[in-house]
Amino acid sequence: MMPGRVRGGRTALLFNVLAFLALAVGTQVVARGSVPWNPAAWAAPWSGDLVLVTASFLFLGLGFLMPLHAGVLNLGIHAQFLVGFAVAAAITRAEAIDPSTRAGLALLAGALAGSLAGAAMIWLRSRFAVHEVLSGLLLGGAMVPVARALSVTPTTPPALTFELTTLLAPLQWAPDLGLGHHFVLAWGILLLSLGVLLAFVFARFLRASVSGFDLRIVGVNPLAAGAAGIDVDRIQLWTLAAGGACAGLTGALQLWTQPAVALERWPLPMAFAGVTIALYGLGSVRGVIVAAALFAVWLNAPGTLAVLQVPGWGAAVALLLVLPALWNLPRLLPDQGAPRSLWRTRHRETY
Amino acid sequence: MGLRVKGFAVGGKSWWSIKDLSLDVRPGVLHMVLGERDTGKTALLEALAGMRREERGSISIGEGEHEATVADRQRRVRLVPQECGPTQLTVSERLLLARPPRWLGIAIHRRRGEEQAKSLAARVGLESLLDVPVEALRPLERRLVEIAAAVGEQPALLALDEPTSELGPHEARQLFAILAAIVDQDKIPVVYTSTWPRDAYPGAAAVTILRRGEAPETVLTAKVTESALIERWTGGQMRRAPTGPHTPGDALMRVEDLVIEGRGRETSLAGVSFEVKASEVLAVVGAPADGLSLLHDVLLGHRAPKRGSIQFLGKELVHSPRRHRVEAGISFVNPPVARDQSLREFSVEENLILGQTHRGPFAKRGWLKFDSIHGNAVRSLSDFEVPDARPRDRLGSLGLGARQRVVIAREVLRNPVLLVARSPAQGLGLEAQEYVRKTLVLQCERGSGLLWLTEDPEEALRVADRLAVLAAGRLVWIPVTEILTREMIIDEMAGTAA
Repeated sequence: MMPGRVRGGRTALLFNVLAFLALAVGTQVVARGSVPWNPAAWAAPWSGDLVLVTASFLFLGLGFLMPLHAGVLNLGIHAQFLVGFAVAAAITRAEAIDPSTRAGLALLAGALAGSLAGAAMIWLRSRFAVHEVLSGLLLGGAMVPVARALSVTPTTPPALTFELTTLLAPLQWAPDLGLGHHFVLAWGILLLSLGVLLAFVFARFLRASVSGFDLRIVGVNPLAAGAAGIDVDRIQLWTLAAGGACAGLTGALQLWTQPAVALERWPLPMAFAGVTIALYGLGSVRGVIVAAALFAVWLNAPGTLAVLQVPGWGAAVALLLVLPALWNLPRLLPDQGAPRSLWRTRHRETY
Repeated sequence: MGLRVKGFAVGGKSWWSIKDLSLDVRPGVLHMVLGERDTGKTALLEALAGMRREERGSISIGEGEHEATVADRQRRVRLVPQECGPTQLTVSERLLLARPPRWLGIAIHRRRGEEQAKSLAARVGLESLLDVPVEALRPLERRLVEIAAAVGEQPALLALDEPTSELGPHEARQLFAILAAIVDQDKIPVVYTSTWPRDAYPGAAAVTILRRGEAPETVLTAKVTESALIERWTGGQMRRAPTGPHTPGDALMRVEDLVIEGRGRETSLAGVSFEVKASEVLAVVGAPADGLSLLHDVLLGHRAPKRGSIQFLGKELVHSPRRHRVEAGISFVNPPVARDQSLREFSVEENLILGQTHRGPFAKRGWLKFDSIHGNAVRSLSDFEVPDARPRDRLGSLGLGARQRVVIAREVLRNPVLLVARSPAQGLGLEAQEYVRKTLVLQCERGSGLLWLTEDPEEALRVADRLAVLAAGRLVWIPVTEILTREMIIDEMAGTAA
């Protein structure tokens, strides 16, 4: 298993492509059934939202992918996302903090909080033998009312001081790219660049570093990793913390990125987009980048929103979003013994 | 007529394919299928049980000459796989799982169920264990429960996949004696697989030998002795130990008064003491459930003993994790199928540096040195004669013997102070077995100590300078002399020695 390679094999890739085609083509076919075909909708300027959503998907994909490479199923990604959002929201309201530093601090604190939420899941596992899937889902459930309480009474977040004013003019290479959200777009480009950079750094780390080699061994065979002298728990702790930081950062960003526009279209809890992106990307770094871009285009395409608003079709879309788990997860996760190990880990005697 | 297979072929595109197999098994007769791992033994049994489609040939079961369809076979053949079934059930529940007696067709008839379970358990001598969970049983008992449960379904054919893989030789004999009595009474034909020629004697009427890439061959046990069978299988005689006795050096490891409680009905270790010296091979023979697995777990650092000490080069290691033991200079070679010593998904060159990346020469300042890693793989594959393997091949694409050579190359090249080998040649072909033994013993001649844990007395005889049998949780020391035979060791293991 080398990073960047297709980990699931050609069959899984083919199935993923077919599932995405079913999603993209099916959405357009259904949209044409309810809304008259309007070519002008495609010619209209695409929102800067596209960049932002791609960046969000990329970070969420990495948030699921990093722990996955260490053999951890990060279903606590929603918890990390909400913790990041809640902490960032609390900081933006804190009047004791200097307004000029409040925005940056909120982003950093969101990432840190997501990271701590991830680490807490591994701590719960090693201390109380509660499986990370269970603790992650429960923590996510517990965070929902907190995040909801902070979002029903929104406050005006402090301005992010960074702004690419030159982008106010139409871009020469993409004149149709609408700049109504220029502020968001500038941050989106920055974040997207950061996400792509992070993805490639992670790929390089996996392939060429000693720690990355250890991480890959843990992800493929924890028994062999333990036997080779690798501290399995420590590696899983760090990767889950890193993945949590990505999810927490995305959560914190929701304060500035108009969740109603960018996120509420997603038919599942937003952070689970990370699972979809990582699985459609076959668990590879390159795959995640491609999947993030494709899904962002699909989500922003004319007609998609109309389809998602119909409950029946929304459910069908949600099914297609999670369907690749059927053929990808068995290939990506290490074999750790009996199915009941999903809930308790203490019976694993060998590491 | 029991079972008749004609012109059978399966797995045509796989490297373990079986071609043109024909065999007849009469009712009440045991038939063994002998072959190393990855020769298609399990696929054959699965095809007989209707779980896999054959590509060619016909299979007839029971009376008449008509061919048994897949549905027929699924209904009439019972396959007992290597892995035991639902282990959390009690023996009684497991025995009734497939066909519980029902009351008016809706509820389980408790009284009749108890009687039925008791009668089935009595056939394998386990009537006193009806309320014990299957997971608490010894491997032999678990295997017998599975056989009793299968027999309870009154199959037209019983197929057993490597029933002795977790048993010592004395336990295997006990299993076959009970099995022979049952099938003789019920007139059920039985086909079972094994990697040990000894399992054919005295119970099996015939043995079908599977070899990779060659046509199967069936021989009658009445016409060939065990050594002749081995010769037919491998094309040569087993050689004795690769080198003569060694002159032991200083003590490297001292194990004193090791006490550890067994799981379930597993035998506990009751005060085991021994020492391993440099340049000598100490072989410990025993059944896994007689304490061998416990001893191995303690040496690996997977379990802490209740009492006792393990001193390595004067340093206490009894509570150290495995990685500290490896860092101190102990190497472990486990059975070829063990999952904790290699990574099938990784390349050969990556497997050759497993556990050696935190210091040179394969890494520098936290980054892997690909040239060194590749060069090491090229040299290792050449020095350790791993056929048809290239450094960047996926380890899982190699045969079991080649994979074990890669593991041994890695461990030997570390030049360990002490090598702990647990059945390192189990399930391999004879040539690969001899290569494994030769390589490990040669390392011992370079000054390493070698502790060889095995359930196979034959293997221990081939390598041991000193030999101890683990019986009833204690070590019984046997002098290694010219007159020592496998039967004497088995008698000690079974506790029936004079």
